[in-house]
Amino acid sequence: MTLFDRVFSGNDAVYGLTETAIDNAIAQYGADQAVAFPHTAYSLPCYYAVTGTKVSNLGELKEALGVVKTLMTREKRLNDAFMSGVATALCAEFIEVLKYINNETPYEEPCSGHLMDATIRELGVPLVTGDIPGVAVILGAAPTKEEAVELVKSYQAQGILVTLVGGVIDQCLEAGLNMGAAVRIIPLGRDVTSVIHVVSVAIRAALIFGNVTPGDAGNLMKYTFERVPAFVNAFAPLDDVIVACGAGAIALGFPVITNETENIFRVPKSLIVQEDVSRFNATSLEARDIKIKITKIDIPVSFASAFEGEIIRRG
Amino acid sequence: MGDFKLTTVEEFEAATNRLLETGAKVGADAWQLRVKNQTPHCKFGEQGICCRICSMGPCRITPKAPRGICGCDAHGIVGRNYLKFTAGGAATHSDHGREICHTLYHAAADGAYKVKDPDKLIRIAKEWGVETEGKDIYDLAHEVAEMALMEYGKPFGYQRWLKRAPQHTQDLWEKAEIAPRAIDREVACSLHMTHMGCSSKPEALVRQSLRAGLCDGWGGSMCGTEFSDVLFGTPKPIDTEANLGVMNADNVNIVVHGHDPSLSEMVCEYADDPEMIAYAKSVGAKGITVSGVCCTSNEVAMRRGIPMAGNFLQQENVVLTGACEAIVVDVQCIFPALGPLSKCFHTKFITTSPVAQMPDSDYIRFDVGTAAEKAKQIVKMAIDNFQNRKPELVYIPDMKQKATVGYSVEAIVKTLDGVTNSQVDELGTTKPLIECITSGVIRGAVAMVGCNNPKIRPDYAHIELMKKLLANDIIVVASGCSAQAAAKAGLMDKSAKDLCGAGLKRVCELADIPPVLHMGSCVDISRMMILVSELAKDSGLNISQLPVVGCAPEWMSEKAVSIGNYVVSTGIDTFLGVDPYVSGSDQMGYWLTEGVRDWVEAAYTVETDIEKLVDKMIDRIEEKRAAIGI
Repeated sequence: MTLFDRVFSGNDAVYGLTETAIDNAIAQYGADQAVAFPHTAYSLPCYYAVTGTKVSNLGELKEALGVVKTLMTREKRLNDAFMSGVATALCAEFIEVLKYINNETPYEEPCSGHLMDATIRELGVPLVTGDIPGVAVILGAAPTKEEAVELVKSYQAQGILVTLVGGVIDQCLEAGLNMGAAVRIIPLGRDVTSVIHVVSVAIRAALIFGNVTPGDAGNLMKYTFERVPAFVNAFAPLDDVIVACGAGAIALGFPVITNETENIFRVPKSLIVQEDVSRFNATSLEARDIKIKITKIDIPVSFASAFEGEIIRRG
Repeated sequence: MGDFKLTTVEEFEAATNRLLETGAKVGADAWQLRVKNQTPHCKFGEQGICCRICSMGPCRITPKAPRGICGCDAHGIVGRNYLKFTAGGAATHSDHGREICHTLYHAAADGAYKVKDPDKLIRIAKEWGVETEGKDIYDLAHEVAEMALMEYGKPFGYQRWLKRAPQHTQDLWEKAEIAPRAIDREVACSLHMTHMGCSSKPEALVRQSLRAGLCDGWGGSMCGTEFSDVLFGTPKPIDTEANLGVMNADNVNIVVHGHDPSLSEMVCEYADDPEMIAYAKSVGAKGITVSGVCCTSNEVAMRRGIPMAGNFLQQENVVLTGACEAIVVDVQCIFPALGPLSKCFHTKFITTSPVAQMPDSDYIRFDVGTAAEKAKQIVKMAIDNFQNRKPELVYIPDMKQKATVGYSVEAIVKTLDGVTNSQVDELGTTKPLIECITSGVIRGAVAMVGCNNPKIRPDYAHIELMKKLLANDIIVVASGCSAQAAAKAGLMDKSAKDLCGAGLKRVCELADIPPVLHMGSCVDISRMMILVSELAKDSGLNISQLPVVGCAPEWMSEKAVSIGNYVVSTGIDTFLGVDPYVSGSDQMGYWLTEGVRDWVEAAYTVETDIEKLVDKMIDRIEEKRAAIGI
C-alpha cells in the first residue's frame, strides 16, 4: 500500500468511528445536548481554528462532521494526504469532546486529557522565549520500559515539554517516573485520539500568540510550521490510524520519527525512520532544527528548567 | 510570498510587439514576418517524404509515385531523413565538446584558460583510470583532455562515459547494438547509411539514430559539460535575473549568444576588468552589462550569475532594444538574420568561430591562443560603439524576474544533503529525492528541454506545461531555452513555490530551492543523464522504472532530435510537441513511438496539442508509479 493509501485508509477508519459515535450520542442525548471542552474559549479548538466555526451542541457537531468529510478528497497528492491528516485530527477532537458529555472527568490521574487555556498561556511564554525549546509528542509503547523512560528523561533534561499518548504512559508509570505539567511531562491519554489534546495546544498557541484568524487554515499551518517546535515520536507498530494522525502532524510542520520499518515510506525532514530508539532524541531535534544551548554542569542529579515546578515531598 | 507574480506570455508578446514597432521604423526584418512568408510549408518536407540525397532526384512520395527513382519507399526516405537530422545534432554538440577538450588541452597555470575545478578533474581522471598521484594538475588536464579527444576517433571500443550508466542500461545498449563507439564514427556511419543505395530499412535507421544520439549525450555533450566544469567551475546555486529588462540603458550592453563558454567566459572576464569599466565610463556609460541569449547565456548564468536576456526567439529582440552595443556569437542557433538586423541599428554583430561565419558581421576569429586579447578587443569594440547609439531607438522593456540557477548534479546532491538527518542518512546520494518520490510527496520529475519554434506560441508550452506539472507536485528540471522560458516567467524564483502543489511546495521550502531547477545549457542535458543514473543506482530501480519523463514541447533544431534519441535510449519516455517530420511513414511512427521500447524500455510520444501533452506526461508518471507500487 502506498503511504497516501495508508493515510486515506486510517482517515476513513477514524471517520467511520466518529460518525457512529456522534450518531449514538445524538440517539442517547438528543441533538441539543451541549458539547464542550472545559476551560477553553475556543470551543473545539482545532475545528474552530481550521474552519472558524464554533460547535456548541451535538447537532452542530454532526454538521461539522459534514465539513470534515469535504476535506477527505482522495487525489493522489500530498495536499489530499495533508487534508486527510487534518480531517483525522478533527475527527479525533470530535471523539474526545464526546467523552466530556455529562462527565466532568473522563480522564483521571495521571492522564490529563484536554488541557485548559490557562495551561497553554502558562506554557506559551517559555515556548516563545525558547525556555521550552521544543514539544515532544510520544506515541505508543517503546520496545522496553527502560528505553521509554530514558527517552522521556532525555527530553526533560533538555527542557523540552513531553506529552505522552498510549503505552508509553504505563511504561513510565511502571518505572515510577514523576510526571505532570509541573515537570513538563504530560501524559494525555491511552487512546490514540487523545493526541489531539497536544495538537490543540499548538493550535491554540497559534490563535493566542500568533494572532491567526480562526478559519485561516493556511496561515495556521504556516504558523505551526514556523513557530511551534513540536515533533512526534511514534513507536512501532504503526497502524493506518496512526499514520493518518502522522500526516496531520506533518501538515502542521511537525516531523514524525518512528522505529517502524515495515510498510513505511521515508520522507526527508518529515517522516524519519530511526531504528535505534536511543537516538530518537538526537534525530528528532535535528529534524525539527531545535538547537539547545547547554552548559553542562557536572552534578549528581538532573538539572533543567523542567524541574523548576517539582514538588519535594517529605520522606 | 509578498508581491511575487509570474510574467505572462501575453506580457512577453506585448513587449515583443512594441519592439517590432521599432523594427518597422528602421525597416528591420523579423522572424515573425519570415514565418508568414514561409507559410504554408511544403507538405512533403513536413511529412519527411522528400528525398534529395542524389542527383536522380529530388524525389517525393505521392499515392501515384509510392517510390523514389532508386525504389526507396516512404519509410526508407523518412528514416534516412530522420537519421541525417540526428547526425546533424550529434555532430553539433560533439564538435562543441571537442572545442572544450581542446581548450582544456591548452589550459595553463599562466594562460587565459585555467583549471578552476581541479577536484572534478581528478575525479574524472580516476574514473578513467589515470594515475593522479603527484601529478601537476595541468599535466593531468592535458592527459585527460587528450584521452577525451581520442573518444572522438578511437578505432575500438565504446564511449568511456557509458560506464556511468547503471549496468542494466549498459546491457540494454549492448544487446540492442546501440552502444556508441567513437563519436565521429557514429556521425560518419550515419551519413554513410543514409547515402543513396545504403540503408532503407526503418528499423536499421532508427537503431543508428539511437546510437548517434547516444554518442552525443554519453559522448560529445558529456565531454562538453564535464570539461566546461573543470575549466570554468562546477555550477553552484547562484542568483541572477532573466528577460530583456536585464539590459541596462545606461550601460554598454554586450550580449553573448551561442553555445561555447570558452568565448563567453572570456568576454565576461574582460567586461569585469576595472580598466574596461573605466574605459566604458570615459565614453559616457555608467558601466558594462553583459547578458546572454541561448545556451552560452545558460553557461555563464550557471557559473557567474550573468543575467539571461532571453532565449532563442528573443535573439532579435535584443538588437531591437536599440541598446545593444555588441552581440557576440560563436556557434549554433544564431539567426543569420542578426547580420542585416544589426545594420538597422548601431549594434555590432560579431562572429567569432570559423564554424559559424555569417555575412554582415564583424568576424573576430577567436581561438585558444589569442582568447584573452580577442576578448579584450571585443569588449573594447562594444564600448567604442556606445556613442553610436541612437537614443530615439532605445527601448528596453521593463520586465525581468529573479532566478536562482546553477543546479549541477553536484549542487543538487549537496542540496539534498541539506535535508538529510545525520542520525540516519548518508551524505552525497540522491536518496532524499528518491524518498520524496516514493512516498508520493513529489509524484515524479520532468526534464523540460529544447528550443522555441514559431509553430508553437513561443514559450507558451514551456511555461504552461511547467505550471501544470508543478501544481501536480511534479518537479521540473530544465535546460536550454526551456530553462530560460521558465526563468523569464519567474518559475526559477524561489517564491514560485506558491504555485506548486502542497508536496512540491514543502520540498521547495525544506530544501530552499525554486520549483524549476536550471541544470544548464543543451549539452548539460548530459547532467540529467547522470542524475537519472544516480537515481536508478540509489533506488535499485531501472531508469525506465523511475517516474521520470523528458519533454521538448517547442523543439526546433537537429540537436533536439539527437537529444531526444539519447534520452529515449537512456530509458526515459520523451514527449514532443512538434512532429519530427516522420508523419509520412507509419512504420517510422511505429518504431519511434513503440518499437524502440523493446530495446531501451522507453519511446517517444508526439502530441501537438499542448494541453494533452502535459496530461499524457502526468498519466505516464502515474502509470510508472503504479507499476512499482508507490
